[in-house]
Amino acid sequence: MPGIGRKTASRLTYHLLKAPPEDAQRLARAIQAVKERVRACERCGNLTEHSPCVICQGARRDQSVVCVVEEASDIAAIERAGEYRGLYHVLGGRLSPLDGVGPSDLTIPGLLARVGDGQGVEEVVLATNPSVEGEATALYLHKLLVPLGVRVTRIARGLPVGGDLEYADGVTIAEAMQNRREFGT
Amino acid sequence: MPLVTVRAVVLQSFAYSETSKILRVLTAEHGAHALVAKGAQRPRSRFGGLLEPFTEGTATFYVKEGRDLHTLTGWDLLRNRQGLGRDLVGFAGASLLAELVLRFGTEDADPRLFEEVTAAFDRVLDGAGAQCEATVVAAAWRIVVLLGFAPQTESCVSCGAGVSADQSAPFDPSGGGVACLACRPGRRTLDPVSREELRRMLDPGGETPNFVRPRVQRDLLRAFLQHQLAPERSLRSLEFFEEQLAE
Ligand SMILES: [Zn+2]
Ligand SMILES: [Zn+2]
Repeated sequence: MPGIGRKTASRLTYHLLKAPPEDAQRLARAIQAVKERVRACERCGNLTEHSPCVICQGARRDQSVVCVVEEASDIAAIERAGEYRGLYHVLGGRLSPLDGVGPSDLTIPGLLARVGDGQGVEEVVLATNPSVEGEATALYLHKLLVPLGVRVTRIARGLPVGGDLEYADGVTIAEAMQNRREFGT
Repeated sequence: MPLVTVRAVVLQSFAYSETSKILRVLTAEHGAHALVAKGAQRPRSRFGGLLEPFTEGTATFYVKEGRDLHTLTGWDLLRNRQGLGRDLVGFAGASLLAELVLRFGTEDADPRLFEEVTAAFDRVLDGAGAQCEATVVAAAWRIVVLLGFAPQTESCVSCGAGVSADQSAPFDPSGGGVACLACRPGRRTLDPVSREELRRMLDPGGETPNFVRPRVQRDLLRAFLQHQLAPERSLRSLEFFEEQLAE
């Protein structure tokens, strides 16, 4: 189990052994339910019990914007921030020729179909990670999306909020400098 | 258990657990190694966020005899090559060069290989655009030579007779180089200009030629890599590189 070392594992074991049998069974059922019910949303790839997911079906979501992320877990991170009101598209990874991940291993055809099907998508926000591979993936998608006549944007890079310039790494500072903008905009 | 501090370039990097990363690096003095960077996925990791492909730094790690995986204890960034993510041909080409070293590099020290790989990443980074293809193809040939797979260009791979530089000559990728017409009749020949370009690319100090026939050079490299280096398992980056060139 990720994030659980030997010590934590033995603590969990003792806890379960001491707990009433109903508790252990409830946990077992919950795990089983996750495995049986949670799957990828047919439209966006988000993890959900009901497909299409609540975001795809949300009446108050802006249907004209699609945010492209590498993994479904990235959706939770963006949703926690509470700023974005559009839809998502999960790629299922990023281009990484070295790891054998090429365009055909990602959900790119699904994305192009969503944008090109005349359902009113006006903007695609590329929110792949700010890594070499994430950038290359964004670039690759940009090339495919632009001919479809949609606005393509890339999330900005910069300094972490609440951080201290003194402790930021040089590359982050350099990026923040490069992407500086007019004061007050 | 010696602690070493060496210049290293990251060739591949992937998540190991929720918090750690595995890096496959090439170093100047200690060859190719796999390192575990504990905590590297945490937002405030002491390694910074840049244990990524093509990044160069000074790495400190313990070399454990008989182990495949060493523990990275320190990393000082010397050069990030994030810009390689902003050019698809460059990104694909750098991936191809990295894959060659990952597949065929050893733990033996080879400072020339290290210099060639890092200098090639820089040339790809600086020379994005039209010249990028030739830069990658030339670097791939030089890396092939340093890895011990040099093609034979002056004499026939079958009978050993000299093959004059000013004539077209058959190229036999499975034999490992040029041949004379008598030994390989009917095989596609390599024209003298492309042969001269190949010779210049194989020369460690040679300048990267402007290809007269890029397609010929591309096919030549692919055929040689497939037959000589990767007969069973094809190079994943090669296909992606060619796809980017095709557009
Ligand atoms: Zn959905
Ligand atoms: Zn011969």
